[in-house]
Amino acid sequence: MSKEPVAVVGIGQTRHVAARRDVSIAGLVREAARRALDDAALTWADVDAVVIGKAPDFFEGVMMPELYLADALGAVGKPVLRVHTAGSVGGSTALVAANLVAARVHGTVLTLAFEKQSESNAMWGLSLPIPFQQPLLAGAGGFFAPHVRAYMRRSGAPDTIGALVAYKDRRNALKNPYAHLHEHDITLEKVVASPMLWDPIRYSETCPSSDGACAMVLTDRAGAARAPRPPAWVLGGAMRSEPTLFAGKDFVSPRAGQDCAADVYRQAGIADPRRDIDAAEIYVPFSWYEPMWLENLGFAEEGEGWKLTESGATGLDGDLPVNMSGGVLSTNPIGASGMIRFAEAALQVRGQAGEHQLDRARRVLGHAYGGGSQFFSMWLVGSAPPDS
Amino acid sequence: MPDVLSAPLVVEFPFTRSLGPVQSAFLTGLRERVLLGVRTNDGRTLVPPVEYDPVTAEEIRDLVEVAPTGTVTTWAWNHAPRRGQPLDTPFAWVLVRLDGADTALLHALDAPGPDAVHTGMRVRVRWAAERSGAITDIACFEPYDGEAARPTGHSGAFADAVSGVVVPARLDYTYSPGRAQSDYIRALAERRTVGERCPSCRKVYVPPRGACPTCGVATAEHVEVGPRGTVTTFCIVNIKAKNLDIEVPYVYAHIALDGADLALHARIGGIPYDQVRMGLRVEPVWTEGTRHPDHYRPTGEPDAAYDTYKELL
Repeated sequence: MSKEPVAVVGIGQTRHVAARRDVSIAGLVREAARRALDDAALTWADVDAVVIGKAPDFFEGVMMPELYLADALGAVGKPVLRVHTAGSVGGSTALVAANLVAARVHGTVLTLAFEKQSESNAMWGLSLPIPFQQPLLAGAGGFFAPHVRAYMRRSGAPDTIGALVAYKDRRNALKNPYAHLHEHDITLEKVVASPMLWDPIRYSETCPSSDGACAMVLTDRAGAARAPRPPAWVLGGAMRSEPTLFAGKDFVSPRAGQDCAADVYRQAGIADPRRDIDAAEIYVPFSWYEPMWLENLGFAEEGEGWKLTESGATGLDGDLPVNMSGGVLSTNPIGASGMIRFAEAALQVRGQAGEHQLDRARRVLGHAYGGGSQFFSMWLVGSAPPDS
Repeated sequence: MPDVLSAPLVVEFPFTRSLGPVQSAFLTGLRERVLLGVRTNDGRTLVPPVEYDPVTAEEIRDLVEVAPTGTVTTWAWNHAPRRGQPLDTPFAWVLVRLDGADTALLHALDAPGPDAVHTGMRVRVRWAAERSGAITDIACFEPYDGEAARPTGHSGAFADAVSGVVVPARLDYTYSPGRAQSDYIRALAERRTVGERCPSCRKVYVPPRGACPTCGVATAEHVEVGPRGTVTTFCIVNIKAKNLDIEVPYVYAHIALDGADLALHARIGGIPYDQVRMGLRVEPVWTEGTRHPDHYRPTGEPDAAYDTYKELL
């Protein structure tokens, strides 16, 4: 028996900001969920199950928050599943929800991811003072910066590429009312002049810390037929993981990322991603990860990703727009960041992306990664149903 | 049983919580010695209140005052109170349904012993002397055999409502690094770096984990590596981290010790930070009283060729 086609019929997110002191965590997730249901013209009663994701419980210090959020998400009396794959969790959460529909376990699933970073302490949550270990480093930037340097060495990329990505994404964010950073006076010169935090990563090439939630309503063919607006169809989706550190790990282009992309392309019948995919929302928390992931995802040959960026191909008016929403560089409620990528891909193929809508967005990739480049989740969505 | 190290690990953090409208009213009420619940669409009164109706999922904001007296619906005796609990002498954890409420609130009951507690007993709030808008504004409950108290008819609106609380969290662990890392740490005391070789893929892991993550088999064969190594990649850290006593800028590097099959992470010194480069040959610098090398410094050897370390970034 073939799988049930899965459609995205509702998308909602909060206006992401540094601190939402006016709402509880329940109030925050509620806003995104309510908007997704409204988009789908559905009520709480139409939802069969809820799949929720966020970063580690340590961040906000609420253990198993999904239990307390059941009321806010209309989940009482229904299955609630929690997914946990570090920074990639927003993507993995959407895929678990999609699989429930594809397997015909449930007809309509609400999926949601969130983070309230203003109430959390990611540094504390990730950097426990482990006995017997030497404290050396603080922050994700310090962890990823050596890998960026390795990429620059391996590819021979000029050191200007990172700033180009940051400038592009922050400009894209100006067209997205939900983005956290709206730097109206951004210039390339300002990006280049911003302080080096973890050389080679500059301040303006890092992601912000945001409060936000993102929700989607996924449904089957019958649900899609009832939807008031065009659905996005899931053409392929996959997750892969690998250890954080092992002999032979390639941090610049992890095998798990390559395999995950290959699986998605196989499901979707994509022979050449550069030709067959119109745009991509890629998890880029530090600017250099745009060219790195372009190679990892097969949009460019090894060592050539930076040329796509440099040529302008990844701009909104390029032939492979990347991070139309402004990306993680402009908005980062960690647990939600992966789902925002997936949702943006769906918004584009539905023609619902507003001011940053692309003219041609028939097939768009959503991508997330997490941990020490150890978890990957991706989906490809299209404006036409699979096998049509 | 091998001799395995262990040490206490305490993590503490004061989390902030934004309350939202309903919890804000509830906790501000406690500060003012007013107990508030919320009315559901089917007419029940929930104390403590919630923001969303558990039956209909609709937003609920209809605040209702209830009485500071109530009935124990169930309980458990706490023989040995722990740090941070409401009372420091043995007490009963109780669920109390306040007069006027349809659900029960978890709190502590001050009672002389378990024989003095029973389901159905009447209790009342003992207010804390100092109140700030927190659940601890109720010091505890106490036995009470008088009349049910009457609510004052409060609307639930307050002039200077609390909008957030700070919730200190503390976790006490006993941390053990396990057999393999214990061996590694003991060797460091002799200023030797000892990894373990995978019996299957022959890769040498430093620090060792006792298993090869690629082959999934246990490792046991000790292999001394270094002391010299090669900087495979690095970053220059320009922001000073709290609780980290290292002056900035400093170089945080991946170092492949000679004989190791993956890089470990360490600080580079003895050279201006802006002269550190990939391929730099380095050796450890040990200081008295520390377990790990304080940093690595250049050996003066020619730089390693990229091809010799490109798989060890």
